[in-house]
Amino acid sequence: MTGNFYMKRALAILVPLLLTVSSLCAQEIVAGLSSNRTQVGGPVQLVVTVRGARGADVPQTLSANGLQIKLTGRSTQFEMRNFKMSSTLTYTYMVLPQAEGEFTIPSFDVLIEGKTYRTQAMRLSVSGSSLASQSPSLPQNTAPFPSAPPPSSAQDGRSFFGDLVLAKKSAYVGEVVPVDLRFYFNARVGGQVGERPNFSGEGFTVQKFSNAAKREQVVNEANYVVFSFQSAITPVKAGALDIPPASLDARLQVPGKAPQGFDDFFSNLPLPQGMFSEAQDVRVETNTQKLEVTALPKDGRPADFSGAVGKFAMEASVSPTKASGGEPVTLRVKVSGQGNFEGMGAPTLVGDEGWRSYPPSDKFHSADAIGFTGEKSFEFPIIARQDQTRTPGVRFSFFDPSTGKYTTLTQDPLPVDARVGASATPPPVPSQPAGTAATPPPVPPSTPDITAMSGGASSWTALFFRKGFLAANAAFALAWLAVVSLFSIRLFSASGAGRTLARKKQSRQALAQLRKAAPDSFYDEVSRFLSLRFDAPCDQASLAERIAASSFPAEIKASLHQMLERHAESKFAAGRGVSPSAEERGSVLATLTKLRDEK
Amino acid sequence: MKNNPLRLLLALALAILFAPDLRADSLADARARYADGEYEQAAKLFEKSLESLPPQASVLFELARCLRQTGQESRAALNFRRALVLDPRFAPARAALIETNTDLGLPKPGKNWRDQVLERIPMDSLTLAGAVLFWLGVFAVTLLVFLRPSNAKGRFALGILCLAGGAAALALAWSCDPRVTDRNTALVLTTGGASLLSAPADQSEKIAAMPDGSTVTILSQRGRWFYGRLPDGKRGWFLTEGIIPLIPPA
Repeated sequence: MTGNFYMKRALAILVPLLLTVSSLCAQEIVAGLSSNRTQVGGPVQLVVTVRGARGADVPQTLSANGLQIKLTGRSTQFEMRNFKMSSTLTYTYMVLPQAEGEFTIPSFDVLIEGKTYRTQAMRLSVSGSSLASQSPSLPQNTAPFPSAPPPSSAQDGRSFFGDLVLAKKSAYVGEVVPVDLRFYFNARVGGQVGERPNFSGEGFTVQKFSNAAKREQVVNEANYVVFSFQSAITPVKAGALDIPPASLDARLQVPGKAPQGFDDFFSNLPLPQGMFSEAQDVRVETNTQKLEVTALPKDGRPADFSGAVGKFAMEASVSPTKASGGEPVTLRVKVSGQGNFEGMGAPTLVGDEGWRSYPPSDKFHSADAIGFTGEKSFEFPIIARQDQTRTPGVRFSFFDPSTGKYTTLTQDPLPVDARVGASATPPPVPSQPAGTAATPPPVPPSTPDITAMSGGASSWTALFFRKGFLAANAAFALAWLAVVSLFSIRLFSASGAGRTLARKKQSRQALAQLRKAAPDSFYDEVSRFLSLRFDAPCDQASLAERIAASSFPAEIKASLHQMLERHAESKFAAGRGVSPSAEERGSVLATLTKLRDEK
Repeated sequence: MKNNPLRLLLALALAILFAPDLRADSLADARARYADGEYEQAAKLFEKSLESLPPQASVLFELARCLRQTGQESRAALNFRRALVLDPRFAPARAALIETNTDLGLPKPGKNWRDQVLERIPMDSLTLAGAVLFWLGVFAVTLLVFLRPSNAKGRFALGILCLAGGAAALALAWSCDPRVTDRNTALVLTTGGASLLSAPADQSEKIAAMPDGSTVTILSQRGRWFYGRLPDGKRGWFLTEGIIPLIPPA
């Protein structure tokens, strides 16, 4: 009894705390129509869902020509899943169409806790007649899908269901039929859905799926999150075709029970929905559909028909408009419209006897997510066999399912100046009535002159790896090194350090000579050595001055002065010359060696 | 007997003189057989010509056409690719390769910026021009640095421009020339294709299928196994059998 009391107190603190934490959730705003098709006077609901906020300012009315839009309801929902709190505000507008036509409900501002959010614009198609008799129109960048009522499974209040919507109920073999796979999840059920639905069957092929489009929709007064995947199927055989259901795997957070023993306690607390939820893996399946498939008629089938089924237009261009020396020009043919772009073959060239043509390359640019609407470019490389003033003509045949007949589009030859030789004189252009095709020139011998078309390298080794190229570059590198070395040596020689180095070298040579000098020239060599060592003229006065100014120790200076005197004596004394004893030579050499090594 | 060395020399000289004509004759013969619909014979003669002549994009293209006529699609794809390696601006070879790949169930070879460059500039000319510009720039800048003539700012800038332009041209040629970029590329030429495995062992896990005619970049070799990379970036091991290098070994 006491334990229960403390638990109640703890929870009484914990629950408001968790509710406060909920305000930290990210805010999100989603707007959607219960249906994007209706008839005059038939109301539809516009639902604005705000998540992660406690309140929002929304306009009471919205202005759109031909539509009356009023706010009719507001509801708030708090949910807690595994102790994660979320709140959802739902604003419901009634949209009443007053006229027939295509309407756009403009985007509008919603103020949430001081920040302004903007909804997306929505399109609504309003007809004067009943919904069932409408034929699908083709809004730009979207595949055509009729509005379909939600399946009966929605009416029994299920948390999720699927719906398979075909753009039409009958088709021809090879015709592309857009298909929309819609998976509805009650907005109260959270969870994750798979990236792609599973959808395949016999007797048809399936195009790639668009990315899932997410929107909200009110079905039987319940708010649903709808994941819509668009694709297209192409029947490959005639007869009644059963389209099997598509499925989507999802992991949902479904409401669960409170832990055992706590039922009584929690049932007395005003806890938000989803406080105790559990994950459940489900597979959501759509309904099946039937498609009546008719074979393409054999009557009236053009010889150049290459499997294109749909509604197409064609245009052509040529570039460059001038070519010489057998250069190829590109004849570019663009086929645009709606249909089986993947299955269609290339247009055929007409009157191309004077040209050498090659299979074209192709490129498809899709204008919608499923490759149903778009433009396919075919590029024909063509090379003139003889000088030409017009390209070949182009023919493209397709089967139009809306009329049930084959249609052939033609493109007249385009003007071009293509020469076989660079210096060839232009051939006279035969005059012809406007609008008629040029007379094809005589056909040259059938042996293809491929060598004239190609040039290129004649070795498998790139120039980088060829011996000649490497040797030439090595020679350049060596020459550059030689130039750099030469200039560096010159610069060094001219510098003070260079001069000092040269003097030291000469000093070494002079000392070597001194060792070998004859007695009568011994002091001449001493004087020469001192002149080099002190970088001074070889006269006694200059040398004496330099020695005096030097930083050598006093005893060395005294020895050097003595040597200078002995030199003077050897030059000027009577008897001409001094013969130094071996001991004197040794002493002088030792002093000078020390002098050489001194810095 | 005395005249034998002289006769031998004479025969050798004649052989050297007339050999190109003989080879040209075999090429003409191959073309004639192709025109007559004798595709197998024509293919053999084209292959023979390629063994004796320097490789030519046009001959490789003609060989590939013959192989295609005889139903050897993957070998045809190899030779169309080889023709494009030698002459990336050879539009008929590119168109034929696209068609062959379609027949083989392979994706169309994509175009990137390198192909745009290759379509406009011959690689050997670019390399040569780059090298000349580079060395001109190097010598000009070196001389100006050492000699320091007065008012040489303009010449110095020109030298730097030459050097940088030459280096850029060489870098561009290096990254675009298919004989450099595709030197480790090979084609799978085995009926039924090959398998990319996680380890160099027959029983190891299969990572991907390598269809007949598809390309692969060889990164290393261990015994009878190659380690390589597929165009979609997957890496793994595959047997060396039936893997033919795009650029024939010297």
